[in-house]
Amino acid sequence: MKWQRKDILAIEDMSVEEIRHILHTAKVMKEILMRPIKKLPTLKGKSVVNLFYEASTRTRTSFEMAAKVLGADTTSIAVAQSSVSKGESLYDTAKTIQAMRADVVILRHPSSGSAKFLADILDPAVINAGDGQHAHPTQALLDIFTMQEHLGELEGKNVVIVGDVLHSRVARSNAWCLQKMGVNVTLAGPPTLVPAEMEGLGVNMTHDLDSALPGADIVMALRLQLERQKSGLFPSLREYSHLYGLTTDRLKKTGKQSIVLHPGPMNRGVEISDDVANGVDALIERQVTNGVAIRMALIYLLIGGSGNVVA
Amino acid sequence: MWWLKDVMVIDPSQNISAPQDVLIKDKMVLEVSTAMTEEDVLAKAQGESVETVNGKGKYLFPGLIDVHTHLREPGQEDKEDILSGSRAAVRGGFTTILAMANTQPPIDNRALVEFVRRQGERAGYAHVLPIGTVTKGMQGSELVEMADMKAGGAVAFSDDGKNIQNPEMMRLALEYAKLTGFPIISHCEDKDLAGDGLMRRGVASGRMGLRGIPASAESVIVARDLILAEETGGKLHLAHISTSESVELIRRAKARGVNVTAEVNPHHLIYCDEEIGITDTDLKVNPPLGSIEDREALIEGLRDGTIDMIATDHAPHTQAEKARPFAEAPFGIASLETALSAVWSYLVLSGRLSLDRVIEAWSMAPAQRFGLNGGTLKPGAIADMVLFDPNFSEMIDSTNLVSKARNTPFLGNIMEGFPVMVWVEGKLVQRDRVVQ
Repeated sequence: MKWQRKDILAIEDMSVEEIRHILHTAKVMKEILMRPIKKLPTLKGKSVVNLFYEASTRTRTSFEMAAKVLGADTTSIAVAQSSVSKGESLYDTAKTIQAMRADVVILRHPSSGSAKFLADILDPAVINAGDGQHAHPTQALLDIFTMQEHLGELEGKNVVIVGDVLHSRVARSNAWCLQKMGVNVTLAGPPTLVPAEMEGLGVNMTHDLDSALPGADIVMALRLQLERQKSGLFPSLREYSHLYGLTTDRLKKTGKQSIVLHPGPMNRGVEISDDVANGVDALIERQVTNGVAIRMALIYLLIGGSGNVVA
Repeated sequence: MWWLKDVMVIDPSQNISAPQDVLIKDKMVLEVSTAMTEEDVLAKAQGESVETVNGKGKYLFPGLIDVHTHLREPGQEDKEDILSGSRAAVRGGFTTILAMANTQPPIDNRALVEFVRRQGERAGYAHVLPIGTVTKGMQGSELVEMADMKAGGAVAFSDDGKNIQNPEMMRLALEYAKLTGFPIISHCEDKDLAGDGLMRRGVASGRMGLRGIPASAESVIVARDLILAEETGGKLHLAHISTSESVELIRRAKARGVNVTAEVNPHHLIYCDEEIGITDTDLKVNPPLGSIEDREALIEGLRDGTIDMIATDHAPHTQAEKARPFAEAPFGIASLETALSAVWSYLVLSGRLSLDRVIEAWSMAPAQRFGLNGGTLKPGAIADMVLFDPNFSEMIDSTNLVSKARNTPFLGNIMEGFPVMVWVEGKLVQRDRVVQ
């Protein structure tokens, strides 16, 4: 297919064809990444700017690596969260970056919609590396890439996403991406964290995790922000863990050798028990590698200058 | 003297909705009748020169009275000031505007009330009438000197922008305001339920990951204030009603005889939450846009009289403030210059509201509830009036807006139906969309 999109902002408005094209390109990129000499001249002379308004080592490094493997120059701008209100506005910062002739801007920002806001202003491509509670498309793509590696074609598979769906951009992007790929998605969690308004995502919802598990091919646990307890969204970690924590025993209810995913970092003993977490660890390494491959694919597709897949 | 010939007069105060001739003399309406002859008119002019306007195909109605505007002066003149706001008012067909008190500092004493009044007089466009705060500094803990502020020219009291969270303070305000005969205007928003929400809680907020404000944030305070008004016998006016539950609560309270009136903003009658895009800060408003069901309930409430008034809640902000990610942009829509045209296009032309009802709700009812001049074209009444051309079309853009603000969802749109002549006390202040 011919790639026409200027930015990667959310999975919601992407076509299945585009998603498959990204996953396919990422596969090629992963092969390149696994080579002993992993450096391409493809994007030589292009510049990629990481603009991060939230702390993130993994995602930022992943984008940086991806850009460097493709031969682009990278710059990281880390903006402390506290300076958002008193410092330069995102609008002004964006204009400055544009003036420096960046080709791609990777944005992570605490406000939902900030990536689209930036993309509307900027000529260079924008990749959303997480905007508030709205979207985290590259995480969803790397999750799905990893799932495909394990399960092959995903259509008709069952995925349960459990935890704080309301505040999770990872859950939103995964829900969109998975349902577009023909996966049966169920969101599980307490009514305060999986409230009725999440119906807009168009997937199943339940407050009873155990009833959702039978048949699940993949269970994804979301990170529980511990400060949510203080705002009354759940009474205690103990009860949360009792109802929604992934344990070996509970996972037996799937009746399958299910895969457990977690966007990390994990609260061991809360949303995931120690032994299950150890199994997840092995996958995390693979997800990290896949994350670089996905981001290579996206940067390449956006500024690689051709609709064709890398030979 | 002005002679408006063969114009469709809409004056609910006299039950007139018919082609008439209208004479204006000495700042007042002299006569509204049919088929005046030139001889009659010249005789009545008593030597004064007569300006004749052919009103065929146009409407004439009493000037709109907007009981809810934010003029930002003193303190935030980068957003708007009383001069620019009152120019925007007459451009939009408003001859009287009530200025909300949440300025910096808030209008919480007589000196500030007199300042706002004076600035309005200096500007010389619409009548600018100050609303005083209910509590000192809008802190919600001590009442202002209501009687003194009335003497200085205040016309109502409101901590609008902020709910009076302490119910006992609200009760006391309803009691004490009896000294003035003025209503307490309540901004109904429970701050714990609203939290740091950004838009109405619903599938749209859930989909976009924008923190939601439940409808109950408004309705529970509406219920509280209705109960307090009933218990005290105080006079209550509810600002910017936006939920179907609130409409139902008001309907029932009115049936019990509670002394309450309510207003609705045009944007709540036109838009709903599903229409908000993730970067549409021009639709970020408080109270937030509700569901389609809410919008229908509000229109029904306005039709059946449960909701008494339309008011703009004109909330100007700078472009830099609105050019931010959704969460960081301030709430508010600047609407004085577009509100009437929007209501005309979306509600009158679509048959949802009659023009008579619109004028009743935007002119007569505010005048009666707040004890103001205007709201009628009865002979002897002050000649605050609007000539409205249903066929006049205009592109809404920076070159013609006279408000300092550009935060309107209609920016860039071509709209149809505008006031083309506006008189304040018989003086022409706007002609062909140009403020005189």
